[in-house]
Formats: sequence, structure tokens, C-alpha cells
Amino acid sequence: MHIFEGFLPSPWWQAWFAISIPVILYGMYKMNKLVSERREVVPLLAVAGAFIFVLSSLKLPSVTGSSSHPTGTGMAAILFGPAITAVLGVIVLIYQAIFLAHGGITTLGANAASMAVIGPLVAYLFYKAASKAGMNFYLNVFLATAIADWVTYVVTSLQLALAFPSASGGVLASFAAFAGIFATTQVPLAILEGALTALIMKYVVQIKSDVLVDLNVLTTTAVTKLKEAMQ
Amino acid sequence: MTYILDDYAILSPLRSKNNWLKLAIVGFGILAGVSSSSPLVPFTIALCMSFATINFGKIPAKFYFKILAVPAGFVLVSIVIIAFFFGEGGNLFEFDVFGYTLGVSSQGLNMALLILARTIGGMSCLFFLSLTTPMIELFSVLKTAKLPDSFVEISMMMYRYIFVFLDVAMGIKYAQTVRLGYHDFKTSFRSMVMLGANLFIRSWEQGEKLYLSMNSRCYDGKLIMYDEKRPVKMPELLLTGVYFAIVLTVFYFTRGMSFI
Repeated sequence: MHIFEGFLPSPWWQAWFAISIPVILYGMYKMNKLVSERREVVPLLAVAGAFIFVLSSLKLPSVTGSSSHPTGTGMAAILFGPAITAVLGVIVLIYQAIFLAHGGITTLGANAASMAVIGPLVAYLFYKAASKAGMNFYLNVFLATAIADWVTYVVTSLQLALAFPSASGGVLASFAAFAGIFATTQVPLAILEGALTALIMKYVVQIKSDVLVDLNVLTTTAVTKLKEAMQ
Repeated sequence: MTYILDDYAILSPLRSKNNWLKLAIVGFGILAGVSSSSPLVPFTIALCMSFATINFGKIPAKFYFKILAVPAGFVLVSIVIIAFFFGEGGNLFEFDVFGYTLGVSSQGLNMALLILARTIGGMSCLFFLSLTTPMIELFSVLKTAKLPDSFVEISMMMYRYIFVFLDVAMGIKYAQTVRLGYHDFKTSFRSMVMLGANLFIRSWEQGEKLYLSMNSRCYDGKLIMYDEKRPVKMPELLLTGVYFAIVLTVFYFTRGMSFI
């Protein structure tokens, strides 16, 4: 869910910019370093960004028929790491604001914090920790992307609650109200996105597993093991 | 599947106007709207920007109002929460739910109205930009703004590939639909997975091909583009000045004003 233009009052939209800009600058620094070392990644990163955009503009088949779409950033975080995902995510958010009328310019900081920074970071940390613990790859991808999707909405609720605290119960009471509506309705969608990403990964392992090895998502031995398990 | 506002921007007569002037108009409107304390300011902005977009930008009014309703779901739910939870003072009206008293205070209702007006004002500014300025015009602005080359470069290639992949995705989806790939939840989920996986693999191969083809044409990490000079004409400047003056006047006279 994107926060729309004009929705967050001042100090809050500036504050969220202040939080996300350093992370994005760090991501740009990382990306510049990667690009100067391996020039061939520029087109690859560009098509990956375009893939996130297209994936996020596809409507998920949801039970109620509401218009809900995958965030796609959890998958990008697993593939490229959180720093680069932050930069790609910001470009995607700008394009979504300008092409699809989703999001806004003053709220870009807040949307970037939830969708391009915190969500992917959580997905990445979970993925790394769980793969170290030896969790099954598909289950790991499923959980990491589902959690990332859900965390994105919890952060959005928190952003709204901080900007509009309740008179009687303060931030906590309005957080409960926003999260009650936005975060609980998102649970089935988060599960759906997790399942979708895990199954996409399964196809990728089957058909083009060398990409995953190139990106350091899986080791060669892990890929052979997964392929053997499929047969 | 989804409409892209860029398609309208490319045909808009306002496309040939100075980019910085348009950005100044939009930036001014967004900042004035977000820092206003009465709903009248964003309302004025929304009125002016919608008029400019429909009248000068030649955007069909029906389409314009349709996209203005896009944020409606999110905004309505959120402002209802704000109305109930925000603000103190006497309640205008209240009712009991399971022993809890839910009430709307005048402060909360004012806040909700202000947020609604700000969102409409802000979105109309954003639409003015996205319906009159295609992204290709903005790349030169990004370059002049001294953003890192790799960032601008990646945004440009991404822009191109968004359309390539949207085309591929729509083709696949159409083929799946005519084969009853979306007739119930289970099959549509399966189709969605196939679509996503194929899109990913295809984009990856496309990226590798793109690198090879650009490399063989001596790509060195910099695409040079042509930045057309478009001087600001007097009538445009005058109209912008009038718009700024109207908004600032409304801003000045409605400070701290509230409706209820």
C-alpha cells in the first residue's frame, strides 16, 4: 500500500526522507562500486528493476477480488541484497507515482522507507539467517518474502499512526487502528506473495539455475541438491 | 491490465513546454498544499491544476476523474480512522460499540477534511506532471541535477524495459486467459506463477543480450542525450505568476481557519 501524495503532514514527510535518504545514498555508493568493477551488471540491474515494476503492476488473484499486487521487493532483496534493492525500489516508486498514480512525491520518503528499505532488509536478514540454519530453500524464500510484504504494511501503519496519534491513547491506539485494518487484511496477500515467489524460484532453479549461483543466492552444491530432489 | 499515464503525456500539447517551469509549478503546488492549514488552499490548487490539465493538456475529463479516484479506497479508510481517533474536545456525535464509546471530535473531523483536501490537491499536481511530461523529458533534468551517472543510466534502461516487459506480460496473460488460465483461484495462481517465472527468465536473458549489444557498440557507461532548449514564453510566465498569486492569497487569508 502506497501512502498517497499530500497525506503525511510536515515534520513527518521530511522525517521519513531523512531516514531513507542515507540508506539510498549508501545503496548508490554500493551500486557505483559494483558497476565500476563489473560493468555488465548495469543492464542486468535495469532489467531487474523493470521486472520489479511489472511484477508489482500485476494484480494478484485474491479471494475477495480486490486489487492487490505483489510488492516484488522481497524477491529483489534475496537476489541483489538490500542496498541495491533500495536504489531499484526508489526508482520503481518514482515510476509508479508518475506512471500509475500510485504514491507521491512528498510521501516518497515514507514509501521508500517501508517498501524499499525496511521490507527488503527484513527479507534479506531472514533469508541469510535461515539459510545458515539450513532451512529448505523454497520454505525460506516463502517465509522471507511473506514476512517482507507484511512488514511493509506494518511500517506503513506505523507511519500513519505516528503522523496521526490518537487523542486518548496516543500513538499506540492509532497504530492498533491502522494496523488492524491494513496489516490484518494484508496477511493472506503476504502469504500469497510468498507462495508466488517461492514457486517462481522453483522454475528458475529448474530452467536457469546458473543465474542464482552468479548472484550468490545459492551455491553450486545447493543447486545440484535441489535439482536432484526434484527428479 | 493497467494504463500508463506516460502514453497520454507523449501526446499532450504541454509536452513542448519548458520542463523546469512545469516542475516549478508542480513543486510549488505540492509544497503549498502540504503546508497549508485550511482545506481551501489544496482545494484551490486542485481546481487550478485540474483545469490546466484538462484544458491546456487536452486530457479527456472522464479519464482524468477516473484516475483521480485511484487513491479513494486508501484515503477514505484512513480519514475515517483519523476522524475517530485524532483530536480532543467535545464530540460532535458518538455511538456505542460493544461498550466502547466511539466519537468524532470537531478537531478530528477538521483534520480528516484537511487531509482529504491535501491528498486531492497533491494528486492533481502529480497528475499535471505525469500527464504532460513524458519520462524521457525528465531524464535530462535528472542529469542536470547531478544524480550519479549509474543511477540515471539504470533509470533510463529500466524505463525502456518496463514497456518491453509489459508487452510480454500482457501477451502471456492474454494467451493464458483465452485458454481459461484464470477461471478459478487455483488455476489463476498457477498461471500467475508461470507468468512471473517466465518473465524473470526472459528479462534475464534480455539483460545479457542488451549488455552484449551495447558493449559491441562501445558503451562506456554513459548515454549522451539531446536536451532541447525551450525558452519560457511570456504568456506562460504570466499565467504561472497569476496561479502562484492566487494560491498565496488564499494561503494568507485562510491561515488557521476551520470549517466546523
